[in-house]
Amino acid sequence: MNADMQGWGTWLALSAACVGTYICRAAGVKLSGHINQDSEVFRWLSAVTYAMVAALTVRMILMPLGLLATVPLGLRVLICALSLGVMVSHPQRRLVPALLTGTLLMLTYGVMRTSP
Amino acid sequence: MTLNRFANRREAFWRGIHDALGAPVLVLFAGMIGFGAMGRTHGFDAWITGLTSLLMFALPGQVVMLEMLISGSSWLAIGFAVTLTSTRFVTMVVTLFPQLHRRDRNPFLYVWVHVLAMTAWAVSMREFPKMAPKHRLAYFMGLALPCWLISPIGTVLGYFVAGWVPSAVTLGLVFINPLFFLLTFTDVKPWINRIAIGLGCLFGPIFYVLDPDSSLLLTGLVAGTLAYLADRRWLRPRPTEVQT
Repeated sequence: MNADMQGWGTWLALSAACVGTYICRAAGVKLSGHINQDSEVFRWLSAVTYAMVAALTVRMILMPLGLLATVPLGLRVLICALSLGVMVSHPQRRLVPALLTGTLLMLTYGVMRTSP
Repeated sequence: MTLNRFANRREAFWRGIHDALGAPVLVLFAGMIGFGAMGRTHGFDAWITGLTSLLMFALPGQVVMLEMLISGSSWLAIGFAVTLTSTRFVTMVVTLFPQLHRRDRNPFLYVWVHVLAMTAWAVSMREFPKMAPKHRLAYFMGLALPCWLISPIGTVLGYFVAGWVPSAVTLGLVFINPLFFLLTFTDVKPWINRIAIGLGCLFGPIFYVLDPDSSLLLTGLVAGTLAYLADRRWLRPRPTEVQT
């Protein structure tokens, strides 16, 4: 393929993606001028946003792209469950220990997989 | 919580930076390293990969862009798909910025909004009720600015590091993002938002199988509306309903 054309397409895609993302942020600012935080609309939008974020998170864990997809589904879920367990094991919420638990378990699996 | 938590805006700003320089910056940094490594392994330019983090600063959209570029989609389709994944910013901003002080809600917000991402949003939503409105913008900027600045640095680092770091390490790095989001859900207090998260987890994969591009938006609308209705119908105490 013509490398020059490919390069142009990539830069165009990057520009479109950046503009589109900024438009979404700006639309939020525009709309936020008309919304009161105690209103019913605010409560509804809050729920919509949390649902979107949750959907995104579950997708990244259950249906990941790239490297994570090479880890068995059951193992991904198990590591998430263990990390959540560490997180809620204390009323103060152990975020960093929980993150370390999950990341190190994933790393351990990677090491065990590569060494025969 | 006391509303006199900070003496002035400067103190709120530094508190924001202090809160950022823990898990939020670490998590974003790791996520961006993972993204940079991904750009390198897929054969992209270092400039494209780094600029994506600086100018877009939305990891899910960035990943979608790379994936679609690899599969050879047109730039128009890529722009549209990425914009769809970024629609969550509309609701994030709309839920966060009305909590700022009236004086801070001016056209400068169109500049500040660029540094908003999911991490800073989640922390701000949790911390804003614990401080006076006039300190919130300063706190938010202290929180979000380091997160934004660290992103292109992490991306470029990941780009050049990829190749000589064992794949086991990369595996751990790319897992940090989803895990962090999952863990922050346990901190969400209002039941309406807890229900929304539960339903979002349930509907998300189903809608994704039906139509990947619009699934985030669709899941948000359906699950969020159901949670709102459930809260209004069964959970909310009657008197407040009359007041609003």
